[in-house]
Amino acid sequence: MADKIKITIDGKEISVQKGSYLLDAVKKTGVTVPTLCHHKDLTPTGTCRLCLCEVEVRGRRKLVTSCNYPVREEIEVYTNSEPVVNHRKILAEMYLGRWPNVPAIKYVAEMCGITESRFTSNLTDENPQACILCGRCVRACREFALEKIIDFAGRGIKRHLTMPFGEVDPHCIGCTACAFVCPTGAIEIVDDLNHPLDPQMIRDHGMKVNAEMAVLDKDQCRMREVGTANIVDVMDAYDLLPVHNYQFGTHPETWRINSKMLKARYFTQGQADGCWKGCSMACAKTIDDFELKTGPYRGQKVCVDGPEYETAAGAANMGCFDADFLAEFNFYCDTYGIDTISAATTIAFVMESFEAGAITTEHTGGLELHFGATNETLELLHQMADGRGFGVDVGQGIRWLKQKWVKEYGADPDFLHDIGMESKGLETSEYVCKESLAQQAGYGMAIKGPQHDEAWLIFMDMVNNQIPTFEDKAEALHYFPLWRTWFGLMGLCKLCWNDVVPADNYATDEPHKIPEHVDNYFKFFEGMTGIELDESKMLDQSARVYNLQRVMCRMLGYGAREDDHMPYRAMGPVTVKEYESRAERYDKQLKEIIGVDPDGKITEERVGILRRYREDQYEKVMDAVYIRRGWTRNGVPKIERLRELGIDLPELVVIVEKDQE
Amino acid sequence: MCRPKMSQRSFTESAGRVMSKILMKDLASISTRINAEFKQYKAMLMVCTGTGCVAAKGFDVRDALSRAIRERGLQDTFLVVGTGCNGFCAMGPIVVVQPEGIFYQKVSEEDIPEIVAQHLIGGEPVERLMHRDPVSGAINRTMDEIKFFSKQQLIALRNKGLIDPENIDHYIARGGYESIRNVLESVSPDEVIKEILTSAIRGRGGGGFPAGVKWQSAKEAALERKETPYIVCNADEGDPGAFMDRSIIETDPHTVIEGMMIGAYAIGAKEGFVYLRKEYPLALVRLQKAIDDARACGLLGKSIMGSEFEFDIHIHRGAGAFVCGESTALMASMSGQAGEPRAKYVHNVEYGYRDKPTVLNNVETWANIPVIMDKGARWFASIGTGDVTDNPWGGSSGTKVFSLVGDINNTGLVEVPMGVTLRDIIYDIGGGILNGRAFKAVQTGGPSGGCVPAEKLDMPIDFDSLTEAGSMMGSGGMIVMDDRTCMVDIARYFVSFLMDESCGKCTPCREGLFSLYRTLTRICNGEGREGDIEFLEELAKTVNETSLCQLGGTAGNPVLSTIRYFREEYEEHIRNRRCPAGHCKALISYRISEGNCTGCTLCAKQCPVDAIAGEPKKIHVIDQDTCIKCGICYEVCRFDAVEVQ
Repeated sequence: MADKIKITIDGKEISVQKGSYLLDAVKKTGVTVPTLCHHKDLTPTGTCRLCLCEVEVRGRRKLVTSCNYPVREEIEVYTNSEPVVNHRKILAEMYLGRWPNVPAIKYVAEMCGITESRFTSNLTDENPQACILCGRCVRACREFALEKIIDFAGRGIKRHLTMPFGEVDPHCIGCTACAFVCPTGAIEIVDDLNHPLDPQMIRDHGMKVNAEMAVLDKDQCRMREVGTANIVDVMDAYDLLPVHNYQFGTHPETWRINSKMLKARYFTQGQADGCWKGCSMACAKTIDDFELKTGPYRGQKVCVDGPEYETAAGAANMGCFDADFLAEFNFYCDTYGIDTISAATTIAFVMESFEAGAITTEHTGGLELHFGATNETLELLHQMADGRGFGVDVGQGIRWLKQKWVKEYGADPDFLHDIGMESKGLETSEYVCKESLAQQAGYGMAIKGPQHDEAWLIFMDMVNNQIPTFEDKAEALHYFPLWRTWFGLMGLCKLCWNDVVPADNYATDEPHKIPEHVDNYFKFFEGMTGIELDESKMLDQSARVYNLQRVMCRMLGYGAREDDHMPYRAMGPVTVKEYESRAERYDKQLKEIIGVDPDGKITEERVGILRRYREDQYEKVMDAVYIRRGWTRNGVPKIERLRELGIDLPELVVIVEKDQE
Repeated sequence: MCRPKMSQRSFTESAGRVMSKILMKDLASISTRINAEFKQYKAMLMVCTGTGCVAAKGFDVRDALSRAIRERGLQDTFLVVGTGCNGFCAMGPIVVVQPEGIFYQKVSEEDIPEIVAQHLIGGEPVERLMHRDPVSGAINRTMDEIKFFSKQQLIALRNKGLIDPENIDHYIARGGYESIRNVLESVSPDEVIKEILTSAIRGRGGGGFPAGVKWQSAKEAALERKETPYIVCNADEGDPGAFMDRSIIETDPHTVIEGMMIGAYAIGAKEGFVYLRKEYPLALVRLQKAIDDARACGLLGKSIMGSEFEFDIHIHRGAGAFVCGESTALMASMSGQAGEPRAKYVHNVEYGYRDKPTVLNNVETWANIPVIMDKGARWFASIGTGDVTDNPWGGSSGTKVFSLVGDINNTGLVEVPMGVTLRDIIYDIGGGILNGRAFKAVQTGGPSGGCVPAEKLDMPIDFDSLTEAGSMMGSGGMIVMDDRTCMVDIARYFVSFLMDESCGKCTPCREGLFSLYRTLTRICNGEGREGDIEFLEELAKTVNETSLCQLGGTAGNPVLSTIRYFREEYEEHIRNRRCPAGHCKALISYRISEGNCTGCTLCAKQCPVDAIAGEPKKIHVIDQDTCIKCGICYEVCRFDAVEVQ
């Protein structure tokens, strides 16, 4: 971490982070200096000047405002020297003269020993809730909501707060951040459109998220800066980025499509978009004036909404490390109404099959669909949309393709099943889960197929190592799908749960759950409805829907143990080449965990041993999860569980009756 | 003022050189050729077309002169040149006939036939239009004979009155772009910085910070962070009565460009900006033309003069806020933000424009750079005060341009070596106080400078002595005040200016200036109270010491310096309800003395409110209830019959 510096404050020595603000250090020593414009979550501007301190730098004394004075070298600080005290008194007197009845000012004046003011004038405002021009609202609007709805106008003594042209700005979304940080109550909230029972409770907790975004995001996920594209860099670094149909987890050319490249050369917008205007995370990124090279809009300059992580990783999965391709693929998928994940995963499967010889140009209509074939991929996408040529087949998805190719082209069914990354007919989203048992099960056991929304455990399992034991994983596979289903039920965004975390989250009992943020959501619920919520109540709410969904799956002929399996590509190395790409890791696992000495065994044998072990592990995790969920060994909700949840309706019981043990 | 029309901007009538790329090796020969062309003329007629003379119909004079010459078919014998500001603004429009330097003042269109016939054709200069010494009354035929010019030493203004600012040839003929050529050819960037450090030149914009130190810090920050730094020229001259920077740009824009080029080369910048005040339309036109021409000649852009050096300059126009002359506010304004300053705990040389290391120097500083590189740092450092051999803070080297205005005979722009005395400037160059009145004080350093009184007339002027005297160098404004000036009212005027221009961001500047203004106004209105002076002092100190930027950080100076030198004048206002200078309306009354009044009726005729009664040849009387104390009767009376009480 950055350097520490020793400084002296009123004779006391204290060690502080280089570049940190002096006021923080002063507070640490227990000294209170008066402040009005300072707010802990906003960039300090040093405008009220009350936090003045005298600083001695290399023998020279000067007055500085401690709130925005960065400590960069050894200094001696005097918080109460004579000039400091005298100037502060006059400043407090100025405030008291202009706004004599504002409690925050009276408090500061009292601290400075001021009761009378010589600054009373025709501008004196007796209103106890007067605006004192501290500018916190302006900063909150910019830094919390990334907006500029409210700002100063007028120079000098005529300075005042206003919206553009003195009118009510229709762009204000009423986030109330300004009112929240206002020290005097000058900004009044006149209407709460949704009529929550306790708006203050919602606001208090929402503002916590806003403040974390403003303060912590730049050092955490950089959602504001690059959006979810930040994950490309992380996944590549942790060997988890899907490359060439999930064979590999990293690639030397990832830099061509990572967040750095997108930010430097592509993204032109980074602000809250139609998702929810006023969102303080504003993860949506956009490329303006992107000139298309193919398709019906060739030559036109368009606006590309994205790319987000899944789309960028999909490009890696197809071996297309080319940001121009990525933007064009993103644009046309959006325009055609095709999901970028399903398209990329399907095409990656087609590419591997093509390279393995399972299909040839004869089947693809002449398209040479090697990994990295950007032009051919875009052509295939246009064919899918047009209902032309090979695109007609590919548009049906992996499960359909596997069946056709085995039946009509005589392809090897085992191979296609191993590498076709779908489950329950849905293409897998863009994470390599083969080294994470938790994520395998998270994908495989997700109600609607292997998508990351329900149980995205890869970060906590592989990056943060927060669920190390088998029991931890099983518990996580009970808790997180319910927790994430709950968001969906409430219509709340998941990103402000774990794409920014409190600075002290690591010190909590269950850091992977991010307890403080879970509590935020409970408070949003309570503030809206008046119903107090805790973990077990939340889980019950969610489990009712979750189990109902499972029963419905069963009704439709899915929703049993056999449907919860993943292709082996999701669990371990299918091919020799894949094994060898991580031989060290796999050999170690053979030796240390399975107890088999890999020496003397050819790779094919090692692949086989590892496969048997991993498939067995997966079965065990399924057993454990079914028990935890209150389901039968076949993965069907037990009637008693339905009863427990109060959804043992006869029409549901009928469906699951035959599956009961 | 509106933008000058294109038709008014026709400039030198010599055949312009077709703009082509100038290579290093060709510069000297181009200069020689242009000078040879100039020598073919019998005389060059330098018509001042600086803003001051333009306001006095300088363009018309220039055009009339050129028409008259053409009508007589003399266009190959005499060359009419519209120059930038000559400096002697009080005497405009000015025509100087070179090479002899015959100086004509207050020339009007009607005077042109006489000049052409008598002087240009007849060979007999027109004495009627020459300058007369205000003291002796003797005629000064040439510029050299006029004290206003003879006492000056020109570095930044070296080309004033000698070149057409809109013609790059003229600059090249005077050795222009020789410095940058030499630097590109044989001086390393680090050596340039060393040279500027040795010259000890301190920022001419007000701060007096050594330019070399600034350049070096920016370069170090840029190297450390692997960033390309920026160069910025501060041309947001906002002090009332100051027009040094405007004149330099209007007179010699290429010298500013060349200075910035040298700075860019030294610190490794590729882009430079001039932050130009909105209110300077003529400077804008001339600077833009100079930049365009320099680009066309390959002096800006890629591979300058055939070297690997790359640099270009863009003009950013201000929107009319005084505070935007403050460096951080200037950069905020350039970035499209509101022009408000920020704390400078992290300096611009580290995080300036677009958060890149940025060197900001004032117009006059940049104008000095080519000369320093040409004549050498030691030569420059030898001019001025103190010992700057090892420490640029040890004194003030070089010259300083002042704009001399107020109650003085020779209003204008002067450049003098650091260390000359106020007396030299006001009495020798400035020709003394108007109408022979007594000198009272001079306000230096712009609105937030201070008032220096008569007892300091022999003080040598430099950065440090002015600060010590409670004022400052500032950008070089000098407002001379005679004995009729009320110092309380002067303090009130400057505080009111600053109050209007304060951005209002920080409390002491916003609230403090308002309170200073209220208190001073009360005193001027005769409602002063015991304790007011002490309150003003206390408050002015807090404003100075706790404000966020240097606008507020010096805003207490007008109050503090006037109290320091003219405390009794404040006391008179408060205790005896008297304005000793006879200025504060609430404290004075006008009366007509019976002894002197001749009954000429002039005062009664001129009085705007008919407050004066009286028959011709009889003593007049002012009705005190009607009188609005405008002072017109006092001004117009030829018999000193109107008295201020």
